[in-house]
Amino acid sequence: MTDDTVLTVEDLGVTLDGQAVLQNVSFALKQGEAFAVIGPNGAGKTVLFRALLGLLPHAGLVQWRKNVKIGYVPQRFSIDRSAPISALEFFLLQSPNFWRPSAAFTSQLNQELKLMGLDRRVLQKGLGELSGGETQRVLIASALLQQPSVLLLDEPTAAVDAGFEETVYALLHRVQTERGTALLLISHDLSVVYRYAQRVLCLNKSVVCQGPPVDALNPQALATLYGETSFYHHEHGPAAH
Amino acid sequence: MLTLMHNAPHTSFWIALLVGIASGSVGPFILLRRMALVGDALSHVALPGIALAIIYRLDPFYGVIVFLIGAAFLIYWLEGRSRVPPDAIVGLLFTASLAIGILMIPNEDVVESLFGAFPTLSLPLLLAILLAAAVLSALCFLLAKRFLFLIVSPDLAKVYGLGRRYDLALLLIFAMVVALGIKLVGTLLMGALTIIPASIAKNLAQSMRRYVILSAILGGTISVAGVWLAETFRFLPGPAIVLLGVGLFVLSLPFARRGMA
Repeated sequence: MTDDTVLTVEDLGVTLDGQAVLQNVSFALKQGEAFAVIGPNGAGKTVLFRALLGLLPHAGLVQWRKNVKIGYVPQRFSIDRSAPISALEFFLLQSPNFWRPSAAFTSQLNQELKLMGLDRRVLQKGLGELSGGETQRVLIASALLQQPSVLLLDEPTAAVDAGFEETVYALLHRVQTERGTALLLISHDLSVVYRYAQRVLCLNKSVVCQGPPVDALNPQALATLYGETSFYHHEHGPAAH
Repeated sequence: MLTLMHNAPHTSFWIALLVGIASGSVGPFILLRRMALVGDALSHVALPGIALAIIYRLDPFYGVIVFLIGAAFLIYWLEGRSRVPPDAIVGLLFTASLAIGILMIPNEDVVESLFGAFPTLSLPLLLAILLAAAVLSALCFLLAKRFLFLIVSPDLAKVYGLGRRYDLALLLIFAMVVALGIKLVGTLLMGALTIIPASIAKNLAQSMRRYVILSAILGGTISVAGVWLAETFRFLPGPAIVLLGVGLFVLSLPFARRGMA
């Protein structure tokens, strides 16, 4: 592992319920880069993330740099809308003191809210009352509170209005350039990948292509990935997504 | 004054107050984890424990605590086995415990075991119950952040190092609170006492911190008021507490937030 490598993955494989949903996945993530993972539904993108985060058992090597701080932005909250939990309390889950947050924590929170373009009034809203765009920005701001050196984002614009998608990526780009945070993101949007990612990994149960988007995403690779999928179809059920 | 506490009615009032607060403190987390039904069924496991304690001439409390802690470990183990909440297994197993308990318990003790009574306790046991209730309430507040994190996003919580041991901690706290209140409220109704204050508070609170505090206050208030009603009108305390709570829940319904399932 070289000095600027944050994550090394070698021959990663995940088997769920007896079926191989990921095989022979190898790549490395470098400090400060934006690395996109693309692929059709059921390609194993979310499974890959869950394996990297230690949430799923896997074969092969997943090696994070020592003492690395990982921020994870899931797609959504796993809670019903009627739960009386305010956005402030969601942020307080990251605070050493849940009942009486320190001034230092509040000031850090204000900074992250500002970076994400969120008004402080959002803090008093219930989690169930947030719009798709607010939810995503709250999730990202919360992940940033720990000052992570890597941010894993699982389709950060899946629940966001079409017009707001670009804003989320522009904000993430700002985090990457201003703080040197490495971004590992699952995306469906190829234009976003071309525009913001330095490297891309095309995944369909195993690696189809890898490299800078302009090189890796050639017509043949894209056809293999999204079009002529029968060659890569292993008679597996869809992976958890 | 302390020497008077082991005689009813003071015993019942003290237990109602502190166990009520403990029930109200743990309830929000049980409710948000969607474990309300599992929790309700868990209290039934106490019955065979009571039966064995009676057979071996022990205080039923000891049988209750052993069986409930065992049941908490069992639920934890079952949840780890499958992604699907093992509701059916838990329901069957715990209903079977109820049936076994009823067959084993002498007839004269059945009603008291199911629906509670005004307990007469030795002073050391009473003090131990009150102290345990206070400690369990405090633990709910201290661990609130961790319990909530696992509820809001289990994956995120695990990424930040919060493992399933907090699920076990919640189950054990819950089992112990149920054990503490069973003499007063009974095995059939004690599960409900943990759920009712939390259900009322959920309709009224706008934030989690207020939710837990309000639920704890309601738990203590409803239990004490229920004991007072039971004593005044010569009811059993368990049904009085539960019916008072359900009445307040109905009154709180107009305040329920949108999106309620």
